[in-house]
Amino acid sequence: MNELSRVGMPDDYNTQDDTSFRLMVRGWVEANYPPDIRNPPKRLHWAENKPWYFKLAEKGWLAPSWPREYGGMGLSAAKQMILIEEFERHGCARTNDHGIVMVGPLLIQHGTEAQRQHYLPKILSGETIWCQGYSEPNAGSDLASLRTEAVLDGDEYVINGQKIWTTLAQDANWIFCLVRTDKTAKKQEGISFLLIPMDTPGITVRPIITIDMHDEFCETFFDNVRVPAANLVGQVNKGWTMAKALLGFERIFIGAPKQSQYALARLKQLASRMGVWEDVEFQDRYTRLRMDIADLRDLHQVYVNIVRRGEALGPDVSQLKIWQTELFQRITELSLEIAGENGALLDPMEGNRELHPSGLYLQARPATIYGGSNEIQRNIVAKNVLELPDK
Amino acid sequence: MSEAEDRSENLRMLRDSAAAIAPRTGDLKRIRELRFSEPGFDRGVWREICAMGWPGLRLAEDKGGSGLGMAEFCALTEELGAALTPEPLIPVAMAASLLPADQLSAVLAGDRIVIPAWQEKPNSFDLNGATTLSGGKLSGRKMFVPMAAGADAFLVTVQGGLALVERSTPGVSVHLEQTQDGGHFGTVSFDGASAEAVAGDATEALEEATLATSAYLLGVMDRAFAMTLDYMKTRQQFGRTIGSFQALQHRAVDLKIQVSLTRASVEAAAVTMDTSTHPALRKSAVSRAKARAAEGAMIVTKQCIQLSGGIGYTDAYDVGLFLRKAMVMAPLFGPAALHRARYAVVTPEDDDE
Repeated sequence: MNELSRVGMPDDYNTQDDTSFRLMVRGWVEANYPPDIRNPPKRLHWAENKPWYFKLAEKGWLAPSWPREYGGMGLSAAKQMILIEEFERHGCARTNDHGIVMVGPLLIQHGTEAQRQHYLPKILSGETIWCQGYSEPNAGSDLASLRTEAVLDGDEYVINGQKIWTTLAQDANWIFCLVRTDKTAKKQEGISFLLIPMDTPGITVRPIITIDMHDEFCETFFDNVRVPAANLVGQVNKGWTMAKALLGFERIFIGAPKQSQYALARLKQLASRMGVWEDVEFQDRYTRLRMDIADLRDLHQVYVNIVRRGEALGPDVSQLKIWQTELFQRITELSLEIAGENGALLDPMEGNRELHPSGLYLQARPATIYGGSNEIQRNIVAKNVLELPDK
Repeated sequence: MSEAEDRSENLRMLRDSAAAIAPRTGDLKRIRELRFSEPGFDRGVWREICAMGWPGLRLAEDKGGSGLGMAEFCALTEELGAALTPEPLIPVAMAASLLPADQLSAVLAGDRIVIPAWQEKPNSFDLNGATTLSGGKLSGRKMFVPMAAGADAFLVTVQGGLALVERSTPGVSVHLEQTQDGGHFGTVSFDGASAEAVAGDATEALEEATLATSAYLLGVMDRAFAMTLDYMKTRQQFGRTIGSFQALQHRAVDLKIQVSLTRASVEAAAVTMDTSTHPALRKSAVSRAKARAAEGAMIVTKQCIQLSGGIGYTDAYDVGLFLRKAMVMAPLFGPAALHRARYAVVTPEDDDE
């Protein structure tokens, strides 16, 4: 299926009890998820994940967090967690979901009614696919120092600069950007949100090939790109505050045990293939990793319960991201070690994509860099949780 | 209020009530005075502990207990750990869960201290030993019996059950070895000592004591870390507070993560013990909590010495008391390596996903 037949109107599930909701979701996912894209080892492109996007759209399940009046499911936080857990349980791929996860909530909170009416239906129908323009070559961990600027010229903004790590920009037809609209203000206070069509003259997208030979990320260049001033979201120079508020409870997903569990399952397969189960040292290291994941599950659950109660997550959620991503890397490191020479192979062993220790090892590298590097996460915990001093 | 809110409110009150005996703040004068003395704890404080009903916390109400769960008991032993409390609550509560009803009242009142003696060799979590009770005579040897000098009687695991023996009975000899925390282990030998058979099996009691010890270790590491953070916020070098140095900040965050993982693991294990009857799941949860707590407490308290610098190496500075307590409690009821090995054996494979 490549086209969407209709956008479904979701039912109201909040009155349903959690268990029957969970079982209903599970049954529907099992019956409707495209089997050939279960547990993809890499982020899928739009061409690959759109059948699932359209399935969700038709069911009315694309936007669990959006209010029902805008075509969302209007689910409680607790029900959203169940939905996500069931998708993860089945090994559902991530779609090109920036429109759903970021743009929708941004417009619902800060957009004008006209913007909502214009943009939201097109996200739900898959007509617009969004990418995120935040990071720049000189604004990574220190995002607030971004320099891509938007200058007002009559009723248009003129944008010049460069974004980097724009995930799946080559699939997108719109980009939401943080741009500098005041160069004289303190760095956090001169930033605004702009919505830009990717086919505007002056935009160039260049995929970045990563060390695991994937093209998930791009560089996006802006050369005198002109968009209507009406494409600004919220108040001018208030973009930074809006961007921070958007993080919401998404921050716990990067700390979910899923990634490490997937890697451990691959390690287990590899250990059998390599015949190392009798090795006592391997057994101990494997068991440590298993227990590290189980403890992570318990710690993750602590934060899930906070979300379920409808409370805000504190900065201490960063410790979940640190532990999960470093654990994920340790698993791939042990895999590479036991693989021996097979760990040098560019392609999966024996054509089996689940036996690819070198690929998984490389794929694990950016986990400690993206989403706020682990060094930044440690700074956040040191400052805001442990309350350690600046000087 | 929901049932869950009720329970968390009760847990908070229980922790608060612990502060009278086991304060989280203040000096450790009492703890220091009891170090390397016999019996190494204070019978007066023990009576106060009994007056609070703690040794019978887990016991059913018709046995004179409070009928509370492992979540409550672990919250309590965590507080005891944070205060380095030397009084033998975990061993006595373990004995109380195994003693017959007519033996309980003196124990719960604090008039009589009964300590379990179950271990026969180092690095062991095995209740099957060589000690026997035959014709009312007890023979064998038990090791690593905590606070043995303060025991009025020992509850001894023997082939086929348990035996209760008075410490003063002829044929019982106790050899004490001091431990790093200022307490001691007893090696207790029985040479045909008269003892009374007690029906029952210590398997479950051992699991509970192991988890309670994990919670004690959580308290130890949590307080040591809090003390060290305070030090990092006040100690000045190079004209700056040392807690402002990023290398030290990042190390502190890694210790915080160990504390958080241990807390999550211990609290989840307590829930498993309170809600699941599945033997493998219970053992798996206990072993995971003990392995994490034993290793985490050692990592954290060791680093607390380093972060405190030279003063951390002195006996006068309190942080060392926490490392030395962790060194004693980490191997008790099975060290981390033993519990990892047990986890690997008992945990169902599909539990990973």
